[in-house]
Amino acid sequence: MKAFLVRFKKKFDWRVLVLFLPSFIYVCMFTFYPMIKMFLMSFTDWHIGYNQESPIVWFDNYVRVFQDPVAITAIVNTLFYLVITVPLQMAIGLFIALLINKITHLSVTFRVFYYLPVVTSWVVVALLFRYIFMNDGLLNYFLVDVLHFTGEKVGWLSTRFMALTATGVLGIWKGIGWNMVIFLAALQAVPKEYYEAASIDGANAFQKFIYITIPSIRGTIAFALVMLTIGAFNTYTPIAVLTEGNPYHQTEVVLTWMNFKTFSTLDMGYSAALSIILMMMIIITTMVMMKFIYRKGR
Amino acid sequence: MKKISALLLTAMTLALTTGCTDSDIVTIDFWHNYSAGDGQVEVLEDLIAEFEEDHPNIHVEHVFLEWSALRQGVILGADTGLLPDLLRGDIAFVPQFQSLNVLEELSAYDDYETVANTVLAQPNSSNLMNGKYYGLASNTNTKILFYNEDILEAADVDVPTTLDEMWDAASAVSSETVIGYVEPWTGIWNVGPYIWSEGGDILSPDNTTATGYLNGAIPVAVISKMRQMYADGHLTGSSMNPSAMGDTDGWAAGKYAMELDGPWRQASNNAAGINYGAIPLPPGDEGSISVLGGENFMMFKTSPDEEKAAAWEFTKFLAGEHAQVEMAKHGQMPVNKDALENAEAVTAMPLLPVFAEALETARARPVIPEWGDIENIIAASVAEAITGAKAVQTALDEAVTAINAILAG
Repeated sequence: MKAFLVRFKKKFDWRVLVLFLPSFIYVCMFTFYPMIKMFLMSFTDWHIGYNQESPIVWFDNYVRVFQDPVAITAIVNTLFYLVITVPLQMAIGLFIALLINKITHLSVTFRVFYYLPVVTSWVVVALLFRYIFMNDGLLNYFLVDVLHFTGEKVGWLSTRFMALTATGVLGIWKGIGWNMVIFLAALQAVPKEYYEAASIDGANAFQKFIYITIPSIRGTIAFALVMLTIGAFNTYTPIAVLTEGNPYHQTEVVLTWMNFKTFSTLDMGYSAALSIILMMMIIITTMVMMKFIYRKGR
Repeated sequence: MKKISALLLTAMTLALTTGCTDSDIVTIDFWHNYSAGDGQVEVLEDLIAEFEEDHPNIHVEHVFLEWSALRQGVILGADTGLLPDLLRGDIAFVPQFQSLNVLEELSAYDDYETVANTVLAQPNSSNLMNGKYYGLASNTNTKILFYNEDILEAADVDVPTTLDEMWDAASAVSSETVIGYVEPWTGIWNVGPYIWSEGGDILSPDNTTATGYLNGAIPVAVISKMRQMYADGHLTGSSMNPSAMGDTDGWAAGKYAMELDGPWRQASNNAAGINYGAIPLPPGDEGSISVLGGENFMMFKTSPDEEKAAAWEFTKFLAGEHAQVEMAKHGQMPVNKDALENAEAVTAMPLLPVFAEALETARARPVIPEWGDIENIIAASVAEAITGAKAVQTALDEAVTAINAILAG
């Protein structure tokens, strides 16, 4: 402790404090304070309003969440979205990064094209996807009127898992570019000598990929996996635009359901409990992933 | 450092002095959802300018917020105290906001009764809770049956004169490219008129139970009819089937033939160049009973007294004949009795007589704080019933159980 204080005094610089304070205050006001307040709210029957009393109900809200069939549907839907979007985004992103990494011409052009979906607005592309997947949308037009694959229009957004899959396609399409850029940067940092040495030893392209590329970019894979998992847990806009949780809350994800309970029914305590549950799910999943990844290798 | 302090000092002095010169003027914040697309916001700005000229001591700051933002703004404001002095929003907001304990009781004002007598009693009744008025009617509307004349003509189908004929007509015009009837949501705002017109109801008259009402024989029959229409592909809507085209898009594309809808349907159909007609909802066994919509003016307890007084002055101005006629020219149905008979207003709204006829029998949804929750439950259950996910009776019985639990508190 004493050593720490001495070191602290030696290193302390008021300019650091000036630089540090604004962001510290910002994080306290807009991250820590709301988090703590929400945590406390989750144990009350929160009555929003002027001079209203909010009685403490302890774990009632949590019990209500787990007894609510829609909340369970929303959690399962969120996990379904996660399971289809995260691995596919990473696999396709990595595949494209490998292709772009190899070419010398037009590499910048391809990078820009693949990155475009990432920088376009979620709402705009979600609306466009709605027009693609609608009954009278572009996809059915091609399947029914152009290619004559089927005589019946397919209700892509009409049923639970079909709609979630369509939303997943949007999520994957939107995320490929981000993965591509991250993996490309990692690939370019893999020393060429490794590949040369492997070639001399007679390794083929697949073996080089498995034994050199993958282990070399393990850290990046872990980073992408964790970031995308957190992102998938927090998905909101694609569902809000494509189905609005319809029909009868079958396509709700955790965030759309939370939004509905908060603002349509003013059930603030319930929503606070749901968001704490979501936070715990994210923390646990991330910790398990980190443990799994860093136990192997390194 | 000295320079900065000097700058700050100057800025503060400036702020203080400008504050002083304006101290005689009362500024009121007015939140509203006048439609920006129909030119109503420009009309409002002109009206504010006129009002400020007559009341030099009042300044009106208006803020446009769309429906859900308006609602969320007040909900959050109820906690933080950041509320406007005056709000113009959905009649359904009154019981919800009153349950947040933020609304000012307007019937306590000396001249409230005089002012209330100049507007239609039916729309203004949506402000009445426990014998007190918490708002003043701003505009009213109800839903009438819009139909695409070209589609009906092409199928050689007559304009329906009864509710049964309406469903038959919708089936008759449906084809590979046309869906006869569209209903974008499944709340009481949507299915209520069909149930009421056939003689059914949602809650008991004293709003204490839904048993025997929502799950009674008539609602079950009405929803069963809609379920059959949906299964046959003659009825659709994006809340029942998210793959369905939105109603405005569907009208413009000539996809949807009929819809029970409000005054706003005129503007979008005119813009899309659709040849349409409109009549009051064709009567069922009990007559033609549509649903009452519209907006009210609401004031807030949190405002200082002088701002309350100024907001009330401005409310009376907006509810007056002149302001109501100006708004009517841009699609807002007046509640002011004189404005309703004003020649300019009638010319500007060719469908005004149709709406006026429908308004005579239109019914308000129950004015109780829990209504928002109840209607959400009904919307989900009715969608389950219509899409065939559950038997109609089962779905409505489940809704009744959930609603009774809410009503019991």
